[in-house]
Formats: sequence, structure tokens, C-alpha cells
Amino acid sequence: MAELEGRRALVTGAAQGLGRAIATLFVERGAQVMLADVDEQGAERAAAELGDRARSVRCDVTSSADVQGAVQAAVDAFGGLDVVVNNAGVEVVKPLVDQSEEEFSRLMDVNVKGVFLGIKHSVPALAAAGGGAIVNMSSLAGVGGAPLFGSYGAAKAAVIQLTRTAAVELRQAGIRVNAVCPGFVGTAMVDRLIPTVEAAVGVPFGDLIALKQGRLGTVEEVAEMVAFLASDDASWATGSHYLLDGGLSASLL
Amino acid sequence: MAGLLERKIAIVTGAGKGLGAAVAQAYGAEGATVIVSDIDTHSAKQVADAIPNASAVPCDVTSPEQVEALVDHAVNLHGRLDVMVANAGVANISPLAQMSYAQWREVTSVNLDGVFLSIRYAAPAMIATGGGVIVNMCSITAQAAVPLIGNYAAAKAGVMSLTQTAAIELRPQGVRVNAILPGFIDTDMVKAHKRQFEELLNLPDFDAVIAQKQGRYGTPEEVARLAVFLASDRSRFSTGSAFVLDGGARASLL
Repeated sequence: MAELEGRRALVTGAAQGLGRAIATLFVERGAQVMLADVDEQGAERAAAELGDRARSVRCDVTSSADVQGAVQAAVDAFGGLDVVVNNAGVEVVKPLVDQSEEEFSRLMDVNVKGVFLGIKHSVPALAAAGGGAIVNMSSLAGVGGAPLFGSYGAAKAAVIQLTRTAAVELRQAGIRVNAVCPGFVGTAMVDRLIPTVEAAVGVPFGDLIALKQGRLGTVEEVAEMVAFLASDDASWATGSHYLLDGGLSASLL
Repeated sequence: MAGLLERKIAIVTGAGKGLGAAVAQAYGAEGATVIVSDIDTHSAKQVADAIPNASAVPCDVTSPEQVEALVDHAVNLHGRLDVMVANAGVANISPLAQMSYAQWREVTSVNLDGVFLSIRYAAPAMIATGGGVIVNMCSITAQAAVPLIGNYAAAKAGVMSLTQTAAIELRPQGVRVNAILPGFIDTDMVKAHKRQFEELLNLPDFDAVIAQKQGRYGTPEEVARLAVFLASDRSRFSTGSAFVLDGGARASLL
């Protein structure tokens, strides 16, 4: 199950971390994957390691031309497009009043506009293939508030809302749209924010994670959920956001 | 290719037909040893007969003794229990203002008490062997109302709450607990009540409402695929979560 044999996929933010893990699992399950990233060389290296079913393209998801180019690159390389994973994202983790206007705008540009453009520009190719699946990377921060995650959470909540509307608008075209909301996952992004979170919450990060979600999630675990939603096993799932948080959001404590 | 549930011992309640039967069949196809449980002995046996290595055990999930015996059956026969799918459920139709207490209790006793008892007796067996997975069959009516099934929706909201508490309490012992929230599925339960919905809500065509809200009816097999994912190690970081599967019904306000 969750096999992606013959599927042609585009994954943004695929040079490292979560995006790279998603691309890796997709290739393992039989898909051809276009790894898109603003880090052109990183994407190239990651694709080279995945063998001849993987290619790469430079893509700044805040640019319509780049996103259209990435979609076209996938269509040219694989003969069509069936799956799009809008994964590219950046983080700003600090108190709202300490965030600059520029930081806020940049965050919204990459994390919200990037997903909008990813949906907008991939739909013609997905429809031409007779339908397909879009999986958007949201976050647990998109469903609940947390100190330091105000703007990031607002952006990720927007991703859920885009997911819902796109799902309903695109249902007739046979395109399913879902989102994944991971809790804290072991990535370079989470490593970077550990000192800030510890300072704000006053608890060692390891203790906080153990109490709230048992342990850190892994990028492979998130990739499994993305692969499930991208596959025909999820043929009736659309407009949903699936949490993946070790129980964090289930508890008030 | 090896199945996703090889060597797993799984109980599915309410597996004599509908969603439960589809889940039992999908689990069997993925290599699990399935205990097909239903209050209707005959239908449980029919389903079990068509699944390799499966056995049928009659069980009324509103009875603590019977649920305990069901779990004991798995442990005695196979040495452990890895997966419990608390699926058994019933429905009846009435506006709240006319609902009899018997109607309320029929639905809440099976759909809510039954899930509590399934967790209550499955969890200790799972803990004894280092962990396991519980999948509760919930419903999108846990999140938003459908007129005439207030008893059903209230019970399902209770199932979601039980899912969360069980997930947190059992996390240290390696037991994951999640809920599937399907929209309207093409089952006997839904078909049986279509006319009543049309009459009591003055709807010309219930199917047209479904088509508008969720595109089409879901199939039991589609719910079963999610139940396989949630029982498998592929979802090992998921616990306490609501997995909505509804063709987009919940995504739209309109």
C-alpha cells in the first residue's frame, strides 16, 4: 500500500530536511520526483543521490515564474505531473513584538504565497493528467497557539485554509488536496530554535518534548503520512489536515 | 511484497458487515491474524470464513464481560493483542425533542460505552506485550451536527474525547490511539435511514445533498485503507488525532 509506482511528483524545499525525506520515500515507493529548491546545488546533490528517477530544478516558491518553471520541468522530464508536495517553508521563531515587518512579510511570502502559487500553477498539469494529489505542509502551529510561533502559526493556519478551499474547488477535477501538521520533528529547523524556545518557556527542550509529545518525530514519519495522502489509498481524503504530533495537541497539559 | 500488518493480531468489533467487514478484510490481506467480532454470530462467521487465519467471536460491546472475553480469546489463542479496532456502532433517527430514552441509550451504549470497554480491556493486554494500536471508528458528526442523529453525534464526540485521553494515558506504555472520522459512507446503515432523512427534513433527494457536500459516498474499502495505515508502523508517531476522511465535506462551510 501507499505505493507510488508510476507517479510523477514535484516536491518543493526538497534539498534538505523534510522535503528531502519526502523525495527519498517517494522514489523508494516507485515515483519519479522533481526536487525543487531555492538552493539549486543542494537540490542537485540530493537528486543525484536518489538516482535516475530524481531530477532537480531551482525554484523560489515566491516567484510565479519559478513555480511555473518547476511544474514545466517535471512535465518535461516525466511526461506529466500527478503529485505536488508544497513543502518549502521558512521559520521565524520569536515574540511577535520582536519580529520585524520584513521578517513577517518574508515568512508570509514563502509559507503562504508559496503554497498558493504551488496550487495555482500545478493545477493545469494535474488536471491534464486526469487528476492528482496535492499535499501541503502545514504544522501543529497552524492549529494551536504557542509562544514564539505567532506568525509562523498564522502562516500555517493559512495553509490549512487554502487546503480546504482548494479541495472543494478542485474536487470535480479529480484533484485531492490535503495538509499535514507535524509537531516537533528532528530537523535542522527545530535544532535552530531550541535555545529560543528554552529561554521563552523556561524548561529544557528535551523535558518539554518528553512531556508534550513523548519524543521528537522523525522526517521519515512525516514522509510516510505525505506518501499515504499522495497515494490512491487516500482516494477519499480531501480537504483534511492530518496531525502527526505524538499526542501533543490531544492534551491540555 | 510483505503485508503491512504481518504477524499482527487484530480484533475488529462490529465486523459482520459494512465498515468493520471491510477493515477485517483489508487487515487480513495485509497479513494480520484477524478476530472478527460481531453481535451477530452468523455474519461474523461468514466474514471470518473468507479471511485466511481469521476467527469469529460473538460479542456485544455493551457488555463488559463479553468484551473482556473477546480480548481474552485473542490473548489465549495467539499470545497477545496488537490492534483493536473499536468499530461496532448503531444508529436510529429522531429529532431530539421526540427522542425516547431507549433510542438515546441504544446508540450511546453501543457507540460510546462500547468504545470505552474496548479500550478498557484491550489496553492492559497490549501493555503486557509492550504496546499496540487502538483505532476508534468515530465520525465527522463528532465535529458538526447532522439533524436527527443527535444521539449518534454526541456518542461520536465522546469517542473523540476518549481517543485523546487514552492516547495521552497510554503513550508511555507504547499504545497509540487514533480516531477515523468518516463522512457518509455507502453502507447499509446509511441506506437504511435515507428515506427518513428525506421525509423528516423535507429533502427531495438525500443523495443530491451528499453529492453537493462530499462529491460522492465514500466506500468501506477507502475507510479500511486508512485503518490499515493507522494500524501499521507507518503511522508510529500519530496518536490522539482525528483523521477526517470525507471527500471534503468538513472543508467547506457551504
